[in-house]
Amino acid sequence: MAAVQPEEHIPGEVGVWVFILGDMVVFALLFGVFVFYRAADVSLFASAQLSLNQSLGALNTLLLLTSSWFVVHGVEAVRAHRAQLARGLLAAAFGCGLGFMVVKYFEYGEKLRAGHTITSNDFFMYYYLLTGIHLLHVTIGMGVLAYLWRRLHNTADMQGQLSAVESGASFWHMVDILWILLFALVYLMR
Amino acid sequence: MNTKNQMWCVWSGIAFAVFFTLGFWPITHFMPPPSPTMTAAEVASMYAANTNQIRFGLLIMMGASGLILPFTVAIAAQMKRMEGSPSILTYLQLTSGALGVLFFIVPCVLWSVAAFRPERAPELIQLMNDAGWMLFLMPFTTFIVQNFSIGIAILGDENAQPIFPRWLGFFNFWVAVLFIPGGLLTFFKTGPFAWNGLLAFYVPFVIFFTWYIVMFVFLRKGVIAQSARSA
Repeated sequence: MAAVQPEEHIPGEVGVWVFILGDMVVFALLFGVFVFYRAADVSLFASAQLSLNQSLGALNTLLLLTSSWFVVHGVEAVRAHRAQLARGLLAAAFGCGLGFMVVKYFEYGEKLRAGHTITSNDFFMYYYLLTGIHLLHVTIGMGVLAYLWRRLHNTADMQGQLSAVESGASFWHMVDILWILLFALVYLMR
Repeated sequence: MNTKNQMWCVWSGIAFAVFFTLGFWPITHFMPPPSPTMTAAEVASMYAANTNQIRFGLLIMMGASGLILPFTVAIAAQMKRMEGSPSILTYLQLTSGALGVLFFIVPCVLWSVAAFRPERAPELIQLMNDAGWMLFLMPFTTFIVQNFSIGIAILGDENAQPIFPRWLGFFNFWVAVLFIPGGLLTFFKTGPFAWNGLLAFYVPFVIFFTWYIVMFVFLRKGVIAQSARSA
């Protein structure tokens, strides 16, 4: 493999960015649709937003940020050829993902018990769809983390492992960034 | 090696896209799609007003849909070169692609049932119209399986000269994700997730045909490379 200048290094393999950037375009579209329909009925969106639990949203933000921290250090560990440490850090990130899901379970339960369903009004339609599609991405991301964890069992070719781990880590960071945007738009925007 | 038949299969994908769009757009006028909020009387009058034109357009669309099969087989032939044996992903693509054809043919027949007796009770025509649109746009499952099997095969290609570039694998994953919102049309009659909405119709529709064109370009390259190598 040709030597790569550090300042030109793209994390992971280039192809994975086709998916990541493509996926971010999709979310940009979803967020755009949300803002467009919100502008059409600001009072409904603002009043329905009050019934969201910002604390649970903030807790999930914290969980994902922590998981990203673990993933960053996991990549560093792979660079240092410390596969066991990397596996532990990826498992910790996976645990944060699980925590995110548990919080979402309680959050959805709270909403449904209060009678807010996907067909209640436009705000809740977007709330369930945006968070649901994001949750799907969290699930896929956890699958990626589990795959990397299993893959790192093989320590023969750590340079090859690094490319895969960087690709997966980039996807996980995207899931994190999208949640931060989603949290700001759906839970906080006044 | 004679790759002439394979090249015909590759081009059939373009023929499908052209004839299907022709039937869908200028002939049946299903673009933009009739709104799910239309009353039974409105739906019935739509079928009554252009009965023969709709019947003819649907016939073209139904006929064009068969051309998906050779295109699916052309993808399978190139995937087999990536995968070798056992060709699990190749079979998966072949079966899911073949099954996906039904979600083009059967909706055409359901809409044709609606256009068959436009004088019957409007509620029944509306029912057939609903069934056609929902069957056309809701079942994303086979397409996701198809796109993922293609993507995984591309990423797993261990040929010294890979058949397809790796980014095409990730592109296939992305396309799969974009089909998912179609499934949500079951909840909505208005907005972006209704069957005439941005995310349940326009995005999947545009992406589907973009995918055809992108896959066509690389399949054609692949077949040319294959015949050059064996010549």
